[in-house]
Parts: sequence; structure tokens; C-alpha cells
Amino acid sequence: MPIHEKSLIRPENLVTNDSLVIDGVDVSGHWSTFIRARTITDYNEAMEEEIAALPGGENIHRCWQCGSCTNACTVNAVNPEFNPRYWIYLIRQGLEEELLRDKDIIWQCVSCNKCTYACPRDVVPEGVMKATAHWLELKGHTPKSPSTHFDESFHDSIVRTGKIEEGRILLEFLKKTGQPLRQPWLEALVRGLVKRFPVFYLMRMGWNTVMRPRTRGWRRAGAAIEDYVQERKAGQARALGLDQEA
Amino acid sequence: MSAKPILIVGGGPAGLSAAHAAARAGREVVLVDKADRLGGAPILQGYAKLVPSHEWARDAIGGMVTRVAQNPNVTIHTGAEVQLFEGEPGAFTATLKDGRKIAAESAILATGFTHFDSLNKPEWGFGTYPDVVTTVQVEQMISSGQGIRCPSDGRVPDRVAILLCVGSRDRQIGREWCSKICCTVSANIAMEIRELSPRTNVYIYYMDIRTFGLYEGDYYWRSQEEAKVKYIKARIAEVTSDGQRLVVKGEDTLVKRPITIPFDMVVHAIGMDPNVDNMTLSAVFGVALNRYGYIDKATPYAGLAQTSRPGVYVCGAATGPETIDDSIAQGQAAAMSALNRAGTVLMNAAE
Ligand SMILES: Cc1cc2nc3c(=O)[nH]c(=O)nc-3n(C[C@H](O)[C@H](O)[C@H](O)COP(=O)(O)OP(=O)(O)OC[C@H]3O[C@@H](n4cnc5c(N)ncnc54)[C@H](O)[C@@H]3O)c2cc1C
Ligand code: SF4
Ligand code: SF4
Ligand code: SF4
Repeated sequence: MPIHEKSLIRPENLVTNDSLVIDGVDVSGHWSTFIRARTITDYNEAMEEEIAALPGGENIHRCWQCGSCTNACTVNAVNPEFNPRYWIYLIRQGLEEELLRDKDIIWQCVSCNKCTYACPRDVVPEGVMKATAHWLELKGHTPKSPSTHFDESFHDSIVRTGKIEEGRILLEFLKKTGQPLRQPWLEALVRGLVKRFPVFYLMRMGWNTVMRPRTRGWRRAGAAIEDYVQERKAGQARALGLDQEA
Repeated sequence: MSAKPILIVGGGPAGLSAAHAAARAGREVVLVDKADRLGGAPILQGYAKLVPSHEWARDAIGGMVTRVAQNPNVTIHTGAEVQLFEGEPGAFTATLKDGRKIAAESAILATGFTHFDSLNKPEWGFGTYPDVVTTVQVEQMISSGQGIRCPSDGRVPDRVAILLCVGSRDRQIGREWCSKICCTVSANIAMEIRELSPRTNVYIYYMDIRTFGLYEGDYYWRSQEEAKVKYIKARIAEVTSDGQRLVVKGEDTLVKRPITIPFDMVVHAIGMDPNVDNMTLSAVFGVALNRYGYIDKATPYAGLAQTSRPGVYVCGAATGPETIDDSIAQGQAAAMSALNRAGTVLMNAAE
């Protein structure tokens, strides 16, 4: 049968023989175009457990594929390719290759939780999306997402000083995500501060920015938090089989 | 009281329940079963833990057998079949194959069902590959205590596929009905497999899941949520082998993709066929069968358990796929109808 709508088929699954003769008939070129069957040949049983080991993914095994989440989804309304129901299915069966095709859109979940309130089985698809994006990063399939960069700067600041150093976090975030440091809105904000703040406060802010003083008694608290975080990270790496590789 | 006994044919859950109810009400009961012992499918086939009580079949149904066997009002004939059934309501005579005659007030048919024979679906590998088994065989593996093992070499399977609707819902083999209990039984079996062998992954291939009523939470949801059983929407096209493992082929309808997945064991969730004896039973007792081949039952609005022949009642899986609990309830209902009939006769006589 001729292939009428090639655009519906993924290019790598369209095969054409440059020179092919069948029963004496030359079918070279587009005459021999055929579609490669994409057969599922095995299940990767580890994948569901890996996602379930990451925060938010715990209830993925409950999904019964009703599609309520996808139907409710904010992002799906804009991009029909964004399909939490489908990804949950791929993960549960371990169809990794298939999931990776969508790796550049999975992180786009806006955490609105509309899916969470639509899901009859309490899967918390929003959490699963978060866990999946996290999994893609940990496995090195996607670069760190902007929110991961933000989380890291935020975390560093807290662990180090016990304080949220907003200016520093913001600048690091802009740097790491490759955005210009001179943002017009930021400059306007700083100008406003300089104009309105008493000099004493400005001097104190400056001193804090340079000296980075710790909250009193923070050394032990910070270390405990850091220990806990490292422990959780090690647990996740173990669950994903990344500890041996490292 | 000149009451003749009530004849009950079939000593499975339905017949045992009818016998108990009638005997407890003070009536003589004659219980005839062609098998060498009472208990019906759960006992004869060695089922494991029952839905929904989780009690072992040998305890639960075994208890029903003991209760009936110990009742002095009940006379039991095992290894027996009715060959001739004549007379009128209130004055029937049944002749057994060995020539014995039984006078009966009325009769209750509790002759049950026959398990679907998977050989009739050769594309699913039963009879060709030893590791393709039925739910009955898995029940036996569990109830015998041997555990879940591949019949070919005794290994514990890493991966088990349960195929639903084998012998049900299939025009190709003339079986349009849903066997009602096999979804729930399969979910139950899947959980038992996971419990006995936590490293064994279980996949259930389904078209619809019909774990009706309260079975939804206790079986379908629980099997997914606690036992992590996986459900895949696909009707399997064929089961073959690559020489080492079984290969299950079909279409995963949710991702629109062909599948060819290796498995160690494939389980057929076999359905409940009409009893193979139903044509004979129909002729002997003069009762009509419905278009599927089960014993026809009138609507329940006027009288319960009524067949097409006055004075002859029917209950349990003889009427179509039924659960044990429903078969038991129907057994009691049939006994009640038989007792009512006798009561009417007595009242008329008194006037
Ligand atoms: C694999 C499997 C597992 C199941 N597990 C469950 C479960 O866990 N829970 C549940 O609720 N249901 C279960 N069921 C369904 C259950 O088997 C039936 O509901 C139940 O057996 C019906 O009882 P019955 O007495 O009507 O018939 P049967 O159990 O079939 O008993 C019929 C009796 O009649 C006798 N008989 C038959 N023909 C004649 C004849 N011509 N003359 C004399 N005697 C005759 C037979 O020997 C038998 O003793 C399961 C079914 C299957 C296939
Ligand atoms: S939380 Fe994410 S997946 Fe859920 S509805 Fe919102 S955007 Fe969609
Ligand atoms: S709404 Fe819940 S159960 Fe339904 S497909 Fe989405 S995650 Fe699965
Ligand atoms: S109960 Fe389930 S497995 Fe059995 S016939 Fe019905 S749908 Fe199929």
C-alpha cells in the first residue's frame, strides 16, 4: 500500500532501499518505501521501581490508565504531546527508549496539580512528572533544568549560612542558566532599594554579601541538614543503580 | 407428614447449600452426585484460597460437606447419576444408573459447570508447551503446597503472564458469555504468586476488568497497589516459544504497538462452560436449556429457581457462570421454593 501521509510516521521508521529489485521489477527509491514495525520486545522491570524511589513517584504503580490526568492537564491543552498518562504507562512497562523521545517536554509540567485532583486512583501524577524529570536528569538524559539550578543555589546558601541570600541565589541562577546578569527588572529593583533604604541597612547588606556571616550556631545544624540531604541523594543513586558507576 | 424427600442432583456449593437448608427445615433429602465425593469444583479441582473469604477451599467447602454428611435427614449417593425421571410434582420417581429408585416430592438441579478446555484455543499454546497452564493448575500448585513452579523443569518463574477471558467472550468458539469470576480469581492468584515468590513479576493481559462490586477494591486495586501486579490492555494473539522461554504476542492497545514478550509461565484464566452433561440432564429431567446451553431459569419475580418443568428447580453454576457465594444463596433459594411447594400441597390437602 502506498504511504500517503509520511508526516505521521517517525522518519527513522521509514525505510527506503536505494536499489532493490524484486522478482525482476525495479523498486528502487521511493517505490520500496516501507514502515519498520516498532515491536515491544521486552519489559524493563526496574524502571517503575526507579521512578517510585524518587520523591513524588511513590504511587505510580496504582495507575490504571484512565486518562483523567491528561484530560485535566494544563500543559496538554497547549501541547497535545504532553501526556502524563502515556508516560506513566511507558515507565510502568519500562519502555525507556520510547520515554526518552519525550525527554525535552516532560519537565515542562507546571505543577498546577490539576491532574492530582482528577486522578481517581490517587497516583499524584504531578509528583510522578517531577520524579520523572528528576530521573531523566540523574540518568544524564537531560541537562539540569532551570529549577534544579535554582534548587541547588538555594540549598548551598542555606547549608552554608543558614540564610536565604536572595541576591546571591538570583545571580547564580542567572549565571548557571546562561541569562544576562543585567536584567532591566533587576536593575529597576536595585535602583528602588538604593533610593528608599536607609544607608545603615544598605551598608549592612553590603557587609553581609561580602562576608557571608552564618546564623548563630549554624555550623552543626547546617552539617546535619547536609548529611541528611547527602544520605537521601545516595539512596536515590542506589535505587537508580548509579552508585556503582560513580 | 407424608412428605417424600427432596431430590438434589449435584453436591457442589449450590447443592450442599440446598441440602443443608431443606434438611435443617426438617425435610428428607436425597443428594446424588456423579463424582466419588461431595464438594463440587472447589473440592474436586483442589482450589486454593477462595474469593472473597480468603479461606482455603478444603476448609470452607469441606465444612459444608461435613455439615450435610452429618445431617441424619440427608441420604447421599456418590458416584451416581439419574437415568430416568418420571411423574408429577409431589410424586416424582428418579431411577439411578444402577437401577435404584428414589421417590421425590420435587427435584433441585445443582449440577454446576464444566471448566473450559484450553485445547480449544490452540493458538495460546496449552497442550503444546508444558509451561502454559490454567488457573485450575495454579490453584492446585498453591493448595498442594508445592508453590509456583514451571512444569517443564520445576524452576520458579521470573515472569508470569495471566491471559484473561480464555474460553469466554469469544464468538470464534461460540462462547459469548463472561465467566464472571475469572478476573477476580486471576487477581487473587496473581497476589498469591507475588506472596509466594516476591521476585516473580506478574502481568495480566485483559480486554476489560470485571472485578464487580466490592471485588474492585479487594482484588483489582489491591493487586495493583500492594502486590504491584501489572495490567496490560491487550488480547494475546498467540503464545509460542523461542526454545527457551515462552513468547507472548499481541498488540498493546494503549500504545498501539505489537508486543512479543518473553515469559516463563503463561496462565489461562479459563471460563465456566455449561456442564457437558446438560443435554442429557435436559432430556432426563425435561428441562429447557437457554441459548448458551445452561439450564434455563425463569425470572425470579414470581418464584425463585424455577426451571421450565414444575417441581424441578435449579441453582448455582448450572444456570450460568456464578460465584460460590451466589451459588450458595441460590441453593437456599431453591430449597425455599421446594419447601414452599410442598407446603402448598399440604395446605391444599388440609382443606
Ligand atoms: C479456577 C476457578 C477458580 C474459582 N474460584 C472461585 C472463588 O475463589 N470464589 C468463588 O466464589 N467462585 C470461584 N469459582 C467459581 C466456582 O467454582 C463456582 O461458583 C462453584 O463451583 C459453583 O458451584 P455449583 O455447586 O453450582 O457447581 P459445581 O461446583 O460445578 O458443582 C456441581 C456438582 O454437580 C455434580 N454433577 C455434575 N453433573 C452431574 C450429573 N449429571 N449428575 C450428578 N452430579 C453431577 C458435580 O460432580 C459437582 O459435584 C472459581 C472457578 C474457577 C474455574
Ligand atoms: S501538574 Fe503537570 S501534569 Fe499535572 S495537570 Fe499540571 S501541568 Fe499537567
Ligand atoms: S488520572 Fe491517575 S489513574 Fe488515570 S491515567 Fe492519570 S495517573 Fe493514571
Ligand atoms: S470475568 Fe474477566 S476474565 Fe472472566 S470472562 Fe469476564 S472479563 Fe473475561
